[in-house]
Amino acid sequence: MAMLGFLIVFPLVAALLLMVARQDKARDAIVWASAIIIAVASVALVAMNLGTQTVLFEFSSPVVDTICTLLSCVIVGVILAFAVKYKNVWAGVLGLAQLALSLYFELALAHGMSVPYGLYVDSLSLLMAFIIGVIGSGICVYALGYMKDFQAHEPEGARDRRPTFFAIMFVFLSAMFVIVFSNNMAWMFTGWEITTLCSFLLIGFTKTEEAINNAFRQIIMNLLGGIGFAVALIICATQVGTLSFYEFLVIGVSNPALVMLAVVALAFAGITKAAQMPFQTWLLGAMVAPTPTSALLHSSTMVKAGVFLLVKLSPIMLVCPVPSLMVMLVGAITFLLCSFMAISQSNAKRVLAYSTIANLGLITACAGVGTPEAVWAAEFLILFHAIAKSLLFLCVGTAEHHIGSRDIEDMDLLFERMPRLARYMMLGIMCMFIAPFGMLVAKWATLVSFVDMNQIALIVILAFGSAATFMFWAKWLGKLAGIAGEPENVELTVHKSEWAAVLLMAVLLVASCALLPLISAYMVEPYIVSIYGTLGQAVSADNLWIGSIAVALVVIVLFAGVGRASKARTVGVYLSGVSRDNAGRTFQNALSGESTATVRNWYMEGVFGEKRIAPVGVAFNTIIMVAAFVMAAIGMPMML
Amino acid sequence: MTILITLIGTLLFAVLAPVAGCLLAGLDRVISARMQGRVGPPILQPYYDVRKLLGKERVSVNSVEGTYVACALVFACLAGGIFYTGGNLLLCVFVITLSSLFFIIAAYSSRSPYAEVGAARETLQVMSYEPMVLLMAVGFFMAAGSFDVSAVFSLDAPIVTTVWLVFLGLLFILTIKLRKSPFDLSMSHHAHQEIVRGVTTEMSGPTLALVEIMHWCETVLFMGWVGMFFVWGSPLSVLLAVVVALAVYFLEIWIDNNFARVKWQFMLKSAWAVALVAGGVNLAVLMFI
Repeated sequence: MAMLGFLIVFPLVAALLLMVARQDKARDAIVWASAIIIAVASVALVAMNLGTQTVLFEFSSPVVDTICTLLSCVIVGVILAFAVKYKNVWAGVLGLAQLALSLYFELALAHGMSVPYGLYVDSLSLLMAFIIGVIGSGICVYALGYMKDFQAHEPEGARDRRPTFFAIMFVFLSAMFVIVFSNNMAWMFTGWEITTLCSFLLIGFTKTEEAINNAFRQIIMNLLGGIGFAVALIICATQVGTLSFYEFLVIGVSNPALVMLAVVALAFAGITKAAQMPFQTWLLGAMVAPTPTSALLHSSTMVKAGVFLLVKLSPIMLVCPVPSLMVMLVGAITFLLCSFMAISQSNAKRVLAYSTIANLGLITACAGVGTPEAVWAAEFLILFHAIAKSLLFLCVGTAEHHIGSRDIEDMDLLFERMPRLARYMMLGIMCMFIAPFGMLVAKWATLVSFVDMNQIALIVILAFGSAATFMFWAKWLGKLAGIAGEPENVELTVHKSEWAAVLLMAVLLVASCALLPLISAYMVEPYIVSIYGTLGQAVSADNLWIGSIAVALVVIVLFAGVGRASKARTVGVYLSGVSRDNAGRTFQNALSGESTATVRNWYMEGVFGEKRIAPVGVAFNTIIMVAAFVMAAIGMPMML
Repeated sequence: MTILITLIGTLLFAVLAPVAGCLLAGLDRVISARMQGRVGPPILQPYYDVRKLLGKERVSVNSVEGTYVACALVFACLAGGIFYTGGNLLLCVFVITLSSLFFIIAAYSSRSPYAEVGAARETLQVMSYEPMVLLMAVGFFMAAGSFDVSAVFSLDAPIVTTVWLVFLGLLFILTIKLRKSPFDLSMSHHAHQEIVRGVTTEMSGPTLALVEIMHWCETVLFMGWVGMFFVWGSPLSVLLAVVVALAVYFLEIWIDNNFARVKWQFMLKSAWAVALVAGGVNLAVLMFI
């Protein structure tokens, strides 16, 4: 238990130190040291508890309760201050509403209810702790180099606000640990709200008009989710009679009707945080923030808190049709439509954002299905998505600073211009969509679990969504792979800290893909056995090992096979026999002038454009969620 | 144990499939010629072509293209090995997609205008046929009760009796997968198309030979997919499967020679519509009855 406390408190200490450290060197030292300590501590925690069942720790403290209440007030206070400053009515109104609900809950209801076992670990929270502790702190290290470049791009004399930036990053990690370790739902809620506030501050960090607008969009949507969470807490306190998350799940499985409305409200909170349609716009808007923020939000924190909550709820989903249907449909529709929309994007960060939302949709759908096989798939989706997405964001961030653009069309010839980075990026992309890498194995398991449950709609959606996924990743991969002429290598000035973080993610990615069967046996299966009592694994170990062999082959080819000098004679490409400068792809045109042959990727705006597709998803999912709330609210009293 | 069998199967497939595929390709050339009123080459002509290609000088526009193509071939063989040793059909589907991806990257890596157009179209072709392929695997599972191909040998009736609509869907996308006209957008062997070689524009000599061998392997694998619909407990059924596969191959050649290339819009929409109707409806019926 001391370890849990350490993981929660230590990042806060680091954040405090970072607030006062204004020198680059001091900051470097603190971030490196804290990141390593957090990573080592979380790995140690995982190693010590490997394969554990749910372990509850007896820990309750009125002081912590009071701190949580105060923090809720402070959070809303900060939001209100910003709402007044930037004259945003909605943020203010929702903030006040949430404050009223949470004060009512904390003062009138929670006061008499104590949760003797305040903290817990199980194999799912260990997996999350690994993701937060290792990937999250890796991103913090990456931010060191990135933010130096960022500061250098700022106008002369701009105030150096990096101390705040790094402090928020570490507070974020701490809040995430609170969410995954708290058994007391009131504490979990506080952690939840802190992540909302932190991402609000990080998205608005640059203080441009766009950033402020997007930050407010984020806070409004997540305040809605927060209100959902607060409503769930109130129902828990009044109807279910417990604030222990563990007990709540046990009661929910045995008496689904009692918790139905609470589960719908919690699932709604999870859906907003996981940026499912119709709330996808906040995550898309979040990309105005510096890239480490995006990496953090997309991979190890924030959105992962949303799906973590949903996966936690999945045993109840299995027996409770209303929230299950809502979560399944919302997730599946989001997966399909966001995969489509990703095809029409040329901005690399936007493609990544849509792919994140789509994959979160898949995780959400798995949580909604709620069978052991589906949870197995969801956990692997969470793990591989976290690693691959952080790798990709870090690569795109570095590329952006060195080629001056985040547009995929400008990443032409990256294979030669930034040879190492391009290979890492290709590895990350491959992991996202192609067998035998992790994401596809997880998708495979997802498909099998849908088939087992006879979910025909989900199967069809998965089939079409996966096809779209192939399209947008493959064309990006193709852009990176191009080789022509001998462009200048521009990656020599990349910061060491950036390489360190990128390398960490790449190593994690290869290791986790190759050792997938072991991760399954020691980290994922124990959770499923402890929750369901039976083991559900959709993909047999033999097939997983075949996948591992193929992973090794692809990685060797990518890093050792390609790019070596070959014995083959090199010739120019075919330009219909009228080439002028073959390396530059120029040819003699019909007027005897010179033209350059360029090829642009396919975006199919007319078929997959945002304007066509987004409204459909927003409308559908809004109707589904409203219907679920109505059914739960009407149905619950009738069934009780 | 399964891994060992799969690897041995892959090696055997890598040896035997090119032989069978080569003969099929020769058959294609002869039959196509007869349909066009020509005599056509000897049936071993594809073999002579590849042997000649293998003997040519290594010439390439960059140092990586050959490696990618070799990868594509290796994974095509792995997919074949998985399938013909009775392994997991979904794994087979995923691995053959990996093979297609390497082929696409090989074309992209050349940064040649024609090859890039071909690569983009090939990507689109994959997107067009992928839903139906996945639904085919699910249909197989629902009919045979397992994703393992070997399960067909313990059935009382071939799966085509329950998933015949899926089978028709497979026939439709098979034309795309085999890159036959009217869906030969990325590369073609008809000299009258607007872009003939597309993906393989920059591939020559031994690299092109590997591409040819890969196509042979793919053909044999896809014919296996067709045949698996007609196999059940009876040993004679394998013979029936071979006959059906040959008939389907003849049908593909006939389609190839009788339809003009379509635009990508039509390919995407029709392939997805077929997947939705043939796959979706068939599966829904199986689930709810």
